[in-house]
Amino acid sequence: MRDVAIIGAGMIPFGRRDQDTLVDMLAYASLKALDDAGVSAVDAVYVANMGGGILQRQTAIASALVDRVGLLPAAADLVENGPASGGSAVKNGVLAVASGYYDLVLVAGGEKMREVTGWKATDFVATLTHPETEYPYGITLPGMAGMFTRLYMEKYGVTREMLVEIAIKNQQMGALNPYAHVEMLITKEGILDSPHSVVNNPPMADPLHLYDACPVSDGAAAVILCPLDRVKELTHNVPVIVAGFGQATDTHTLAERDDPTDLKAVTLAAQQAFERAQTKPAEINVAELHDAFTILEIAESEHVGFFKKGEGGKAVLAGKTKLGGQLPINVSGGLKARGHPVGATGVAQVVELTWQLRHELPKERQVKNARAGFSINFGGFGNNVVAFVLKRGEK
Amino acid sequence: MKEITAYKCKKCGRIHYPKHERCLNCQHREFELVHPEGKAKLLTYTQIFNLPWGFDERFLYIGVVEFENGVKAMGQIAAPDGADVHTGMLLAAEWRPVRYVSGEPVYGLKFVL
Amino acid sequence: MAVDMELEAVLRPPEAPQAPYPPKVITLANGKRLVVREARREEVPTLLEAVHPTLFIHKDYYDIVGARLYAELLGWYTHRTQNEFCLVGQIEGLLVGMVNSRMYNAKTGMSLHTLAIDRGLRVGAHLFAAKMEHHIEYLGQDEVLIVAESPIGFRRWMIEYGLEPTDIPHELGGAPSYRLTRELYFKSKPRLVVGDRPVPQELLDEALREIVVADEDAIREKIAGLKGR
Repeated sequence: MRDVAIIGAGMIPFGRRDQDTLVDMLAYASLKALDDAGVSAVDAVYVANMGGGILQRQTAIASALVDRVGLLPAAADLVENGPASGGSAVKNGVLAVASGYYDLVLVAGGEKMREVTGWKATDFVATLTHPETEYPYGITLPGMAGMFTRLYMEKYGVTREMLVEIAIKNQQMGALNPYAHVEMLITKEGILDSPHSVVNNPPMADPLHLYDACPVSDGAAAVILCPLDRVKELTHNVPVIVAGFGQATDTHTLAERDDPTDLKAVTLAAQQAFERAQTKPAEINVAELHDAFTILEIAESEHVGFFKKGEGGKAVLAGKTKLGGQLPINVSGGLKARGHPVGATGVAQVVELTWQLRHELPKERQVKNARAGFSINFGGFGNNVVAFVLKRGEK
Repeated sequence: MKEITAYKCKKCGRIHYPKHERCLNCQHREFELVHPEGKAKLLTYTQIFNLPWGFDERFLYIGVVEFENGVKAMGQIAAPDGADVHTGMLLAAEWRPVRYVSGEPVYGLKFVL
Repeated sequence: MAVDMELEAVLRPPEAPQAPYPPKVITLANGKRLVVREARREEVPTLLEAVHPTLFIHKDYYDIVGARLYAELLGWYTHRTQNEFCLVGQIEGLLVGMVNSRMYNAKTGMSLHTLAIDRGLRVGAHLFAAKMEHHIEYLGQDEVLIVAESPIGFRRWMIEYGLEPTDIPHELGGAPSYRLTRELYFKSKPRLVVGDRPVPQELLDEALREIVVADEDAIREKIAGLKGR
């Protein structure tokens, strides 16, 4: 197996992109990544997208993209793996290069969700639940997260104040990120302390509230991969090495988990990634966790080993996960503020870490001297999870 | 409750619902068919306010229960806003419409207080 | 052009006495203070400036809501509608949304439109709630008739307030109205209607001094731009 490097990264601002089609967005992000790397052709393309068939009634998106951006006759595949599509596509690209079969690979993830009303978007995402034993009841992903949160709060003492703190932190960071969907700052008074917060921040899936959830967004992101030993001839960028990845699955239904507070796939995916990278959680300088709901930032930070169970929320209150803290988490704003165009998210996390590890972000959101980054892309309700450990390489 | 069939592994005894081709615990392929029995203990629940397309209610209570014979399943809880719903409570399970598609009822588990 | 008062006397509908809406202040998610108060008739030209850019925003049905609101406000300004009122929401003087409505008769209110300019802060939800509050609590009406012209409106008003469907044609085009009764209002009030009174004098003075309207590009960007929620 060859070592694999990320030599190009590109993203378009997330938000409501009414004027763009799904393939427009994927194409813009792909061109940015190609230009960033300074390459004009690739051997293969992996496209991450969950909803093209349902929301746009468009299939074979990967074929459409290579045609659109003039990458013919590159091999092209679509990877649909729910909200973990992005992580899965990057993983497949890494495997393709590591195997020695392809040298230059483009991975692009995108989703166009604002095409439909909020409750059709909610229904679309709910199609990942079990079609007989979950979906018909009206369960939603926020609903899954609500049931999880109730148990996690009871078992580990997570409080609403901790969740609110994450929402505030990630929206603060999002406001500094031009690629983030949400640029609004929020206050504890406005969403928790004031009696007016009952309207500002109503329950969404009890005990989760409106501001515990990510917005519904359009967006796309892309990266270029190549073998580490070809970096010097292909690009001027500092390479970012894919030091390790992991992926694991868990039961389709929530009801069949022996302990529903145990996100086994998160733990396993992270363990694999750390082992492969020969890295410990304590060596990570910056992390992108899948905070589709604020509770997940806490639960994932504990399951991957950054904090002991029950300590993640306290770490948030102590400011340990802020920029400048012990381990900055979701400096991009996370899904909470950058947005969560489902197919794009896993790729966007890798793009953000690439920028962080190349030390090229503006001072107000650059993690100083970051050498190692980590991401979790959480699919289903934790039934398919992809983790990465990325490291700054030598130019 | 005959409307729901669960699958008990003939080797290790793990109960599955829905069906799997092999036991999630020991990969054995033979199962004894069982139906949920007795009261349903509420393991967790949520009150969902942002419902998907297809529901016109303001909210729905949805929970996961464990029946007395070990079958676990998700279903709706028939309860008014502000009802005393809590984890660990015992509920009765009924087979009732849980949503309507093109005017036709879709049946499923409805737990009653 | 001078107004022919003789002619106006014929054209203007009679106005029934109408209780004022006592202003209130709401703390929003971003910590800012939203002052909700009744607009004065002479402020209508300023309000129209803010509504104008929405006439051309098709997204989220802003054009239909904007066009009708524009006409209704103009009707109120020129004394062509009877017993109309408009509540405005201001943050540091800046107009972030407005709602209008009418007393159909002493007992029944006819809800007209809700326009949120700042989005993602639940300004529309707060202002719609204030409109219902005015009808039921200050104008002392028994019911308000409501229709939705957008899916967001339908979701927000009909479902959140649990309104009763009726077969009464609504003034806005004759669609069957949904009805908010006093009972439904008071049942939903703790969840949906908030605000503090009296408004601190300083805040109120700031709101009354001037309705500041963002420029048209800024309004378009807030409503239909990339960052819109």
